[in-house]
Amino acid sequence: MSQDIATIRVTRYRPEKDAKPFFQEYKVPYRHDMVVLDALNYIKAEIDGSLTYRWSCRMGVCGSCGANIDGEPKLTCASFLHEFKGRTITVEPMTHFPVIKDLVVDMQDFMEKLVKIKPWIIREKETPPEQGEYKQSAKELERYSQFSSCINCMLCYAACPIYGLNEKFLGPAATALAYRYIEDSRDQGKDVRFPVVHEMEGVWECTLVGECSVVCPKGVDPMLAIQKTKILGATNAIKSLLMPRGGR
Amino acid sequence: MEDNKRYPELRRRLSPGWWTANRHYAVYMVREWTSLFVALYSLTLIYGLSLWAMGSRADFLSFLKNPAVVGFSLVALVFTMYHAATWFYLLGAISPVKIGRSTTKPWQALVLNLILLVTVSYLAIWLLVLR
Repeated sequence: MSQDIATIRVTRYRPEKDAKPFFQEYKVPYRHDMVVLDALNYIKAEIDGSLTYRWSCRMGVCGSCGANIDGEPKLTCASFLHEFKGRTITVEPMTHFPVIKDLVVDMQDFMEKLVKIKPWIIREKETPPEQGEYKQSAKELERYSQFSSCINCMLCYAACPIYGLNEKFLGPAATALAYRYIEDSRDQGKDVRFPVVHEMEGVWECTLVGECSVVCPKGVDPMLAIQKTKILGATNAIKSLLMPRGGR
Repeated sequence: MEDNKRYPELRRRLSPGWWTANRHYAVYMVREWTSLFVALYSLTLIYGLSLWAMGSRADFLSFLKNPAVVGFSLVALVFTMYHAATWFYLLGAISPVKIGRSTTKPWQALVLNLILLVTVSYLAIWLLVLR
């Protein structure tokens, strides 16, 4: 198979040495089936072992290898080199996150938000496993199934200008997951999650830019989840005002 | 985490020109800025109605017929329609309605809401001006 040469410009930043990040250019021979992550692996193995980046599965499942490729948040494992043929490919760390080294960003903030929305099924009273599983119909599954595809790659945060302005914003992925559990017929944790998603920096910060849903590599629509959560919150508020016992 | 704190935090923040980075951001900004015309037209209308309240219907109509007001209203109409259309579309995207086995598409919400808008607008014009 014939080989082309890709020119890749990667952000380098070693906090112990560099005051500022800078670009380093590499030439990488590639085949038609190679992705940006393959090029980074080639650089690390053959040219410069100090290049630092995260990756794991190489197949769009683990969500570790996100970066800004030519300015757009993408998974490096899902971006083919041939798509950039004839131009220099710029690979930068994801925007809006603190950079630890080169392409590696600090995920702490997102991890804390993820825990905050309690991404697991909450039951008022757990039943012992012997009593069997909590059953669900296909129709009930359909209500939330797309939102359960999130791989926590954080590309939606890198694409969200609201998060760029205010990092306290709960953000797309965390809300999509919160909504996934709120809509799950087996879940009874609405009262626990509602205060989190409806606090000042929760869903109401979102102004429907919609780029989160554009960049999601798994076809999740976080913008939709955020707006649905707004609708649920608003109808709940009206119910609690008008109905006896808060409409429960 | 503790180790990172030894170094100054490096974070690429939002630049003032962030919305020029791609087409979606630019479209979003246009959508948001067109709302300015909705607000300005509302103020113009409130001023006109105040003329009616404190004076007569003729004062209100002559204010509306002022060439500057007519010109501004036409410009505002274009931007307001664009603004309304974007939100009608989003409404359809956010709240699709299930009819039987099929689900409504965003453009259907757009068309339905535009028809409603024209009907309500005509009723308002008839009540205020034509009657």
